[in-house]
Amino acid sequence: MTDVSDAAPDLPEAAGRRFAEGAFTSGLTVPDFAACLQMGLEPVGFVQGFCVMQWQWYGMGSPFGPMGMPARGATTGYAESWQCPHGYVSAEHRSWGQNYEQSWVEEAWATGFTSAYQRMVEEADTVGAHGVVGVVDATAPLAGQGVLEFRVQGTAVRVADGPAPAGGPWTTYLAGQRLAKLIEAGYAPVSIAAAVASVRVWASCITAYLTEGTGQGWGRQPAGVEIEQAASAHMAVRRIAREHVRAQLGDDSLHGASLSASEREMGEGDAELQCVLRGNRVRRVKDFDPLAPPRPTVRLS
Amino acid sequence: MSGPRPLADTGAAVDLKAEMLAAAEALAGGPASGGGAARRGAAMTSDLSIDEEFALHSVGWEPVELVCGISLVSVPPGVWTWGQGEIVQASDAHARAFAGAGQRIHRECAKAGGHGVVGVHVEAVVQRNHVDVTLLGTAVRPVGAKKTAADAVFVSDLSGRDFSLLMASGWAPLGLAVGASFVYAPRRSAGTALKQSSQNIELTNFTEAMYAARESAMERMQEQAIALRGTGVVEVKVAEGPMTFAHHAVGFTAYGTVVRLSADAHRRLDPMVIVPLDDSTVAFDATSLRGE
Repeated sequence: MTDVSDAAPDLPEAAGRRFAEGAFTSGLTVPDFAACLQMGLEPVGFVQGFCVMQWQWYGMGSPFGPMGMPARGATTGYAESWQCPHGYVSAEHRSWGQNYEQSWVEEAWATGFTSAYQRMVEEADTVGAHGVVGVVDATAPLAGQGVLEFRVQGTAVRVADGPAPAGGPWTTYLAGQRLAKLIEAGYAPVSIAAAVASVRVWASCITAYLTEGTGQGWGRQPAGVEIEQAASAHMAVRRIAREHVRAQLGDDSLHGASLSASEREMGEGDAELQCVLRGNRVRRVKDFDPLAPPRPTVRLS
Repeated sequence: MSGPRPLADTGAAVDLKAEMLAAAEALAGGPASGGGAARRGAAMTSDLSIDEEFALHSVGWEPVELVCGISLVSVPPGVWTWGQGEIVQASDAHARAFAGAGQRIHRECAKAGGHGVVGVHVEAVVQRNHVDVTLLGTAVRPVGAKKTAADAVFVSDLSGRDFSLLMASGWAPLGLAVGASFVYAPRRSAGTALKQSSQNIELTNFTEAMYAARESAMERMQEQAIALRGTGVVEVKVAEGPMTFAHHAVGFTAYGTVVRLSADAHRRLDPMVIVPLDDSTVAFDATSLRGE
């Protein structure tokens, strides 16, 4: 066992003692555990990282104040505007609309996720692990609104008789046979990769009318046209999430990705779109050696 | 990829421990050690599982990039209210949203160097004022193939495994075919309504509306399949029912992957018939615990 005296400062002392005591803990199912042993991976311990963040949609760092009112050209990252074709109508009528990337939301998410992730990796490193398999991550509201908990956990493993990886333990969402097949295919797990993209839609008058079915008085709405601003925002939020993850990959690939998007409607066409992309960063360590065509079978049972 | 190859001698021959050690050694060499024999092709992104990737490779294809296409098309106000016949504007909006999303995913796929998109998640949400369509999948290409034009790309909701099976039997996916129709259930006359009020009988106005919607939707899907010069549509998914926001309107939607025989003739796969003798519990190899 590793000397716990040089444990990472973040790790509670008690955790250090617990890890030093011999028996391992693991979050793996029995089949996953069996597959690990087959690959020569020895479980070392169940490792976790937490980070609790203050979570407000227009909190610190927002250049736009509490109403989410955009300021043209004042945002970094993606921004796109739409003009009102109607001329002056009234003080309430929006003469323009904008989609903009909420980089401060993305940064807060990245801070929470990365801190939790780093803490898990530090724990794994402290117990002398080479990698963490079967990673699960989750975010959940904690203590009511405005507080978000980030949690990352997995089972730390050692490669029997293997060298320690350069630059700290590797991590992967995979475990069991899927991981075994990945290794067999010639990939090595590098790390999990995850990013969030956040885009705010500050609807132009046309977008609001088309989304809400209102405003027929203001120039006839052509029937069945695309709501360009909304479509553009939906495309952008997914593109940005992919770009963020791409930026974490280096020359490596993203395997087994999952992309989920959600929309928070704020009325009158205004909305906030969020997209989370996560997956396994993997490195090709040998040429792909394709399987012979698998043999189809029919089961009698 | 024609003619039989020796069948995979599955699993047993692979020394997983050695493979794992090789991977660990590669990682120990630091981030720069990816060079040498192993640096083949550009980095890819994919939401396929490793099984699907194996299946793709077995027919000579590889994943390239995660791609998507989205379109939101407005439905003019008021079209859902009481009327008669098809709600043409809603059906049109549905078709236009699918066409728009399709165009975008074709473009993204071609730009990434893909020849097609497999495992596409199709999400179509019909709301009172707009129809939203999202297509998300992994662009794939024959291993090492060059870029192709956006209109030569196919989009399919078949999984990596099903795509490989289709290709192995000599067929090719050509694209998605979609049909949708929204129809008013015509109003019963006051007399009929009164007469039926105390009877449990068929409401022919609703049944007829369902049939009308179905016929138009299926016909539109078929027209798209013919336009793609396909011989058929596989894995058709249909959904029908009332609109939550307009109870007297019924909708019917259908979509599937258009296929055509690409080889000279259909290739029989001759599946092997197996009788599994597994226990119902998961088999666990206890010898590995002892390190044997």
